[in-house]
Amino acid sequence: MHAVRNLRLCTKDCVCLFVCPTGATDTETGQIDFEKCLDGCRRCVDACPSHAISLVMDNYPARPAKDKAVADALLNFMEQKHREEALAKALAASASTPARAKVAKALAASLRILAEDGAREAGYMIPQSTESKAFLEKLLAQRPSVAGKQFPEAELKELLSLL
Amino acid sequence: MEYSPGPILSNLAKALEKQYRPHEAELLWKVAGYFDDALPAPEFTDFTSLVKMLTANEAEYLEPIRQAAASTEAKAADRGALRAATWGGKVNAIQKSLADRYAKKGDELVEGKKLFVCEACGFMFLGDQAPDICPVCKAPALRFATVA
Ligand code: SF4
Ligand code: SF4
Ligand SMILES: [Fe+2]
Repeated sequence: MHAVRNLRLCTKDCVCLFVCPTGATDTETGQIDFEKCLDGCRRCVDACPSHAISLVMDNYPARPAKDKAVADALLNFMEQKHREEALAKALAASASTPARAKVAKALAASLRILAEDGAREAGYMIPQSTESKAFLEKLLAQRPSVAGKQFPEAELKELLSLL
Repeated sequence: MEYSPGPILSNLAKALEKQYRPHEAELLWKVAGYFDDALPAPEFTDFTSLVKMLTANEAEYLEPIRQAAASTEAKAADRGALRAATWGGKVNAIQKSLADRYAKKGDELVEGKKLFVCEACGFMFLGDQAPDICPVCKAPALRFATVA
C-alpha cells in the first residue's frame, strides 16, 4: 500500500513533510512520490491535520463472486438505464430550445450514473478484478464495431498491460 | 457483447481516478468514449416515450433486483445490490417526475432555474442552488454537477 494526497483537502500544513522517513511527501507535483513511499508505513496519513492523505492498495483483493441471478438483474437494469440515456441524449441533440436541451442533458447525466451503479454492483467495481480484466480482454478479442469510429486498440492493450 | 460496454467502462474509469491512477484512467476513458452513442438511435424521440420507460422500471427492472438479492435459506442478502435498488428506485422516481413535469409544462418549468445532478447517486434537483445534502445518498453540495 502507498500513500496518496487528496489535493482538494490538503491545506498545506506540511506536517507530512516532517514525519515522512523517505521524503516521499516532498514533491513538486503535489502528489506523493509512490516510488519512495514505504509499503504500509502510513505515518503521514495519521499526521495530516486535514485528513488529506490515505493509503491505496497496490494489489486489490479478489471480490466474492456475485450470485448470477443478482448480477443479471443488475445488468438488465444497467442496460435499460443506458437505453434511456441514449434517448435523453437524442432529445438533447434535437432540442428546439436551450431549456429543453438542459433538461435532456441533466437526465442523460443522471441516467448514466444509475447505469454505472448497476455495472458496479454487478461485479465491475474494481478494474483489477478478474471479472473486469476478463471483460476488457473480451472487448479486445471481439472488437465491437461502432460506425465511423476506430477501435482504441492501442489504449486497451496498454491499459491491460498496466492493470 | 451481451451488455453495453459504455457504462461498465466509464464506471471502471471513475474507479481508476479514485485509485489515483490518472494515466490508466485516461486510457480507460478513451476506450469508454469509443462506445458513446454506440446504441442505435431510439425509435421515438419525445419526452413522453422517456416517461413511459421510466414508469415501467419499478416493476420490470428494480423489483427483480430486490427479489434476486433478498436473503433466502440458502444465502444471505446481497446488501450492495439492495442498496443499488433502493437508491435506484428513488432516483428513477425523480427522473420520471422531472421528465413528466417537463412533458406537460414545457420550458416554463425550468426557465430561470438550474438543474443539479448528484454525482454520487444521480439525484436531480431543480432550483437556484444545490441542496446542502443530497436527500438520497447524503453527499454534500460539492458533489453536485450543475447543468445551467
Ligand atoms: S500534512 Fe496534510 S495538509 Fe499538510 S501538506 Fe501534508 S497533506 Fe497537506
Ligand atoms: S506512508 Fe510513510 S513513506 Fe509513504 S509518504 Fe507517508 S510517511 Fe512517507
Ligand atoms: Fe446523492
